[in-house]
Amino acid sequence: MGDKLRQVAIYGKGGIGKSTTTQNLTAGLAELGKSIMVVGCDPKADSTRLLLGGMHQKTVLDTVRDNRQGVTLDNLVKTGFGGIRCVESGGPEPGVGCAGRGIITSIDMLENLGAYTDDLDYVFYDVLGDVVCGGFAMPIREGKAKEIYIVASGEMMALYAANNISRGVAKYAVKGEVRLGGIICNSRNVDHELDLLRAFSKALGTRLVYYVPRNNIVQRAEIRRKTVIEYSPDSAQAGEYRDLARAIEDNDMFVVPTPISQDDLENLLLEYGMMDLDDEYEI
Amino acid sequence: MARVLDQPRYACALGAMNTVHSIEGAIPVLHAGPGCASKLAGYNGSSGRFSPNLFPCTSVSEKEVVFGGDEKLRSTIDNALKVIDAQLFVTLSGCSAELIGDDIAEVVGKFRADGKPVVYVNTPGFKGNNYEGHGWALQAIFDQFLPPGEKAPDKKKGLVNLFTGMPKIDPYWHGNLRELERLINLLGLEVNTIFGYGRGVDAVKRLPEAEFNIIVSPWAGVDALKFLSKKYGAPLLHYPVLPIGAFETTKFLTAVGEFAGVPADKVKAITDEQEREYYYFIERFADFFLETRIVSKRFVTIGDAQYTLAFTKFLVNDIGMFPTSQYVMDRTPEEWQPSIREEFRRLSYGIESDVLFTTDGYAVHKHIRETDFGGFPLILGGSWDKQISNEIHGNYVNLISPMIEKLVINSHLAGYSGGLKLLEEIWTAALSRLIL
Repeated sequence: MGDKLRQVAIYGKGGIGKSTTTQNLTAGLAELGKSIMVVGCDPKADSTRLLLGGMHQKTVLDTVRDNRQGVTLDNLVKTGFGGIRCVESGGPEPGVGCAGRGIITSIDMLENLGAYTDDLDYVFYDVLGDVVCGGFAMPIREGKAKEIYIVASGEMMALYAANNISRGVAKYAVKGEVRLGGIICNSRNVDHELDLLRAFSKALGTRLVYYVPRNNIVQRAEIRRKTVIEYSPDSAQAGEYRDLARAIEDNDMFVVPTPISQDDLENLLLEYGMMDLDDEYEI
Repeated sequence: MARVLDQPRYACALGAMNTVHSIEGAIPVLHAGPGCASKLAGYNGSSGRFSPNLFPCTSVSEKEVVFGGDEKLRSTIDNALKVIDAQLFVTLSGCSAELIGDDIAEVVGKFRADGKPVVYVNTPGFKGNNYEGHGWALQAIFDQFLPPGEKAPDKKKGLVNLFTGMPKIDPYWHGNLRELERLINLLGLEVNTIFGYGRGVDAVKRLPEAEFNIIVSPWAGVDALKFLSKKYGAPLLHYPVLPIGAFETTKFLTAVGEFAGVPADKVKAITDEQEREYYYFIERFADFFLETRIVSKRFVTIGDAQYTLAFTKFLVNDIGMFPTSQYVMDRTPEEWQPSIREEFRRLSYGIESDVLFTTDGYAVHKHIRETDFGGFPLILGGSWDKQISNEIHGNYVNLISPMIEKLVINSHLAGYSGGLKLLEEIWTAALSRLIL
């Protein structure tokens, strides 16, 4: 692995928009001329759909499932938009097996097959939901991803998950190189969302890297299996993702996060969520 | 309680496969990693028509962990049913299958719904040890294999189910069971046992017919027997002490007689005759015991609750020796400890023994090293205790698991004759140290 390689993991509450954000962000980085690999760490294997223009057909764990011998990287790595190399870990059907162990197996396999080549500038791990067990912390462990970004919104559960993920990062930061690179807000148009996210980021000892506004064009692009940058390169939202890519490229603030208590988190929400009590809907 | 496992005296719950293996006609089906059965096979008498190396096993590996092992379990049971001539298949789960949450009940449930003789028991090592697993396996068989309580056959007068020491980890399990069976038969009761030669699944099927149940064990398997007793409405006699020698065996037979309604004078006539024979030998060797003063008065027992308690009772009540500390290392559940502790205090002449419940062999040996025995003590324990015995010049006898330096096939320590056998063992160990 070259020294220039930046290994990034994207975490966040389920459904917050990690995969959408990651794919649009990497599309922006590709436009900057970066060489990128995206590793989807979700059993649903849908983390690279927008980059590939459809679902990835060969997941890493499919080869384990089928006892396939002589697997090569060519079978597993597909090239998508902007030359981005796309890999999906895959995993078990819902409700059976151990998806966490699947991620560990999959990342080990990619390493053994030599997927992390010297010409790469970035590897992105798009990780399922919360850090529920050791397997989902795999990208943070053992010197893999060194930069963590958490996608969040102003909704309470998103912040709760982000705080929990910070705990995981803080734990592994003690003995490893992993650091929190910042919070990315994927806006849900919650009241005072920007201020709340800024205050929350500050409390964690990090900062809000970028605020991605809500725009329905993202959904329209998704239906057409494209990133916004590919679907509508001149749109305002494409510009937002390009700016996000630039913010990540230029980011130099990597911290050991300081997760906050549940009480502090709720106080934060009260402080920002209840500022305009006059507007409150009353029956 | 120490969490350290230095020189452990037990194995993991999957060791319950030895319980199943000791029922003729029953076969364990393991939903576990490759190697588990082999690791758990290290006891006397593990080979046979089916042995741990041949048990059907899913050999859970990375593929099953990631994608779930239900399908592998289903095909393993399915194929076992096709190629193995057995009357009962007991599925036991290991750590990896339980960690990933395979639905073993569902897989086995489908076979049972098709009328196949398959049951399951969850035995991951992180849930408990083989003493606990033994009870869980028994209860699973009672619960899933035997008919519901309301469909039970009529009771057979005078038929009694008997359970004692856990197969294999108790090196004398077969001999002890047969000897207690023989003694209870003398009282005019018919004894049904499920373990060992000539019993097996047919005996398991007879369990609901019994008028009474007896379990001779401080704690292991007692909950399973409570379950069986409740299911078929048969009273349970829980006798915590494995009887060794005249004192305890007479007490045991008297208790069984009272429990089963055998006339007291009949019981006494039987125990008197047994005692006469026993004391005939004691008398013949009385000079030997008096003159051969190479075994001091103090003794230590190290091992499971069954043997530490049984030896303590025998050595104090029959032989007149004096206990120092006894070390119970089978991870006796806390709720059982007070009653077992009480048994160690209930000895003749108002003597009480100190008892330490621990899993840490290091702590036990340290404690022994720091004890002043006023001579060379007698040490009854497992192979891990040989070194400390040598260190303090004790008279050491290997009678409890782990049993690495000794072979036991079917001899017994229980009952009147078992007491004499134990004396042979102890004095042979002492005499073998004489330099001729």
